[in-house]
Amino acid sequence: MSTTKRTAYILILTVIFCIAVYCSAFAGYHDNGLHLLKKLFNLDGDTESILLEILRLPRVLRGIIAGCCLAVSGMLLQSVSKNPLAEPYITGISSGAGFGIVLSVLFFGGTAYSLFGFTGALISALFVILFCGFGRFSITKLILVGLSVNMFAGAVISFLILKNTDKAYSLMYILTGNITENTGISDLHLILLFLCTVFLCGLFVPKLNFLRLDTGLTHNEKRKENYDITVIILSAFLAALSVLTAGILSFVGIVAPQISKLLFGNDYRWLFFSNILIGSAFILFADFISRIILYPVQIPLGLVIAFIGSPIFIYFLTRKGDFLHD
Amino acid sequence: MIKIDNLSLSFGEKVLFVSAQAEIPDNKLTVVLGSNGTGKTTLFKIISGNLKAESGKVSHDFKKIFFLPQNIKYPDGLTLFEYVTSFFYATSFKWFLSKEEITETEKILNLLDLTDRKNILIEKLSSGELQKANIAAALLSKADCLLLDEPTSNMDLTNQIKTTEILKKLQNHGITCVMITHDLNSAAAFGGYFIGLNKEHKIISGQKSEFFTEENLKNIFGIDFNINKSNEDIIISVKNTNDIL
Repeated sequence: MSTTKRTAYILILTVIFCIAVYCSAFAGYHDNGLHLLKKLFNLDGDTESILLEILRLPRVLRGIIAGCCLAVSGMLLQSVSKNPLAEPYITGISSGAGFGIVLSVLFFGGTAYSLFGFTGALISALFVILFCGFGRFSITKLILVGLSVNMFAGAVISFLILKNTDKAYSLMYILTGNITENTGISDLHLILLFLCTVFLCGLFVPKLNFLRLDTGLTHNEKRKENYDITVIILSAFLAALSVLTAGILSFVGIVAPQISKLLFGNDYRWLFFSNILIGSAFILFADFISRIILYPVQIPLGLVIAFIGSPIFIYFLTRKGDFLHD
Repeated sequence: MIKIDNLSLSFGEKVLFVSAQAEIPDNKLTVVLGSNGTGKTTLFKIISGNLKAESGKVSHDFKKIFFLPQNIKYPDGLTLFEYVTSFFYATSFKWFLSKEEITETEKILNLLDLTDRKNILIEKLSSGELQKANIAAALLSKADCLLLDEPTSNMDLTNQIKTTEILKKLQNHGITCVMITHDLNSAAAFGGYFIGLNKEHKIISGQKSEFFTEENLKNIFGIDFNINKSNEDIIISVKNTNDIL
């Protein structure tokens, strides 16, 4: 695949990303948002400036961070496991996060629930990775253990929700994920944490260009320098970071890497940027739709993602059926 | 040189090697022959260090041994050039290939007659070209000994000859090749040294003239062969096909 073609794709994705940012930050149910855009350069403390500063811009920021984390995390996991169905939450992230969030809402009043989710996600990921054993580490084992942990914790979460029906609604709402509120961490800390993690990922991205080779060919090299575990830990941390930002959002982490792969082939240096753009744009568009479709009611972001994500994914699947074999 | 000393290995009930001995010489195309299930691939895995022997010692003095398995999967959406340069990303954290690495790659692609195919997507290459691409990748990974597991198995006659010619050509560049094949006649035509795995879990090895005897082949394959030697050429045919049935 030629560099020109890839550059063109990246440019198109950048344009789409910018449109997504515009929609999410400025456009709304009532207007096309042009005056809000002008306001951005002239924040004078009136209602609209406050709307931008307090509500819209942090929301865009969280959308970008969550989408980027999920997509890159999915890309890392899919590349190491060579399994197109691997998703960021496979290392027990979603169950740990969900468990943390439920505990927080039920027993700690629900303040800082995303911090609970983050901690829960990290603990469960650590548990799953350690349980798979650093010595005889195998990806299949990791996926299966992660799956079991997710199922187990899912059952516990359902049980806790059923036991506390009075809080069931707010729990379900939080568990589907959203980027409207942030209860855990200040935006500045979040940005710093995010940038550090993405920088670390950037270091390992070219390595994936080596790991894309058949394991039969890379066996000898890999034994000397085992990057699999580092990459998995990074991807687990990214997924936990996405929980901290936006709660549990399924689907982005599996769709964005797939679409990127269809567009760019297996060159991970391009895939990295493509995933950042597609993941963020996806979440921002979904958030935009969740705001306007049933105005003034906002429907949970996770639902919108599933609604628009599934048809897009199936479309790509039928368009190019052969990519399931890689 | 690869030295196999007193090698023993078995998987549960299935015995593969019992104190087997062999030496694989440098700068020669060595051919490994044997029936299915006698442990040819396993031998390669032991030599390349993917598998540990139960007892005995396998030693070599190569910088790096590269094992090319029979069936490998290829990543989609890459050009041949991108595919073969994958190994450059293995050891450092750099994002881009250096000029030297690009020149080196072009040199090797030229050696393997792949220069005009370098911008073609690998899923569009023929199996012969793919095999050459793998050999190129192996050479770029700085390997000086290649273990090839039936590299010509799904190629047509022309590609088989081309590939083996390339393997022979590599000997002049200081690269030792060991390959598995089932085609006795072509093996006899292009091989420089021969290794046979027999049913008694031993390794028979030797130069062409001493290796291709009716006794050795009977020992390896369990059926009778006719061997016609004329000058350097050896033609092998099965004596009585009814024996096999």
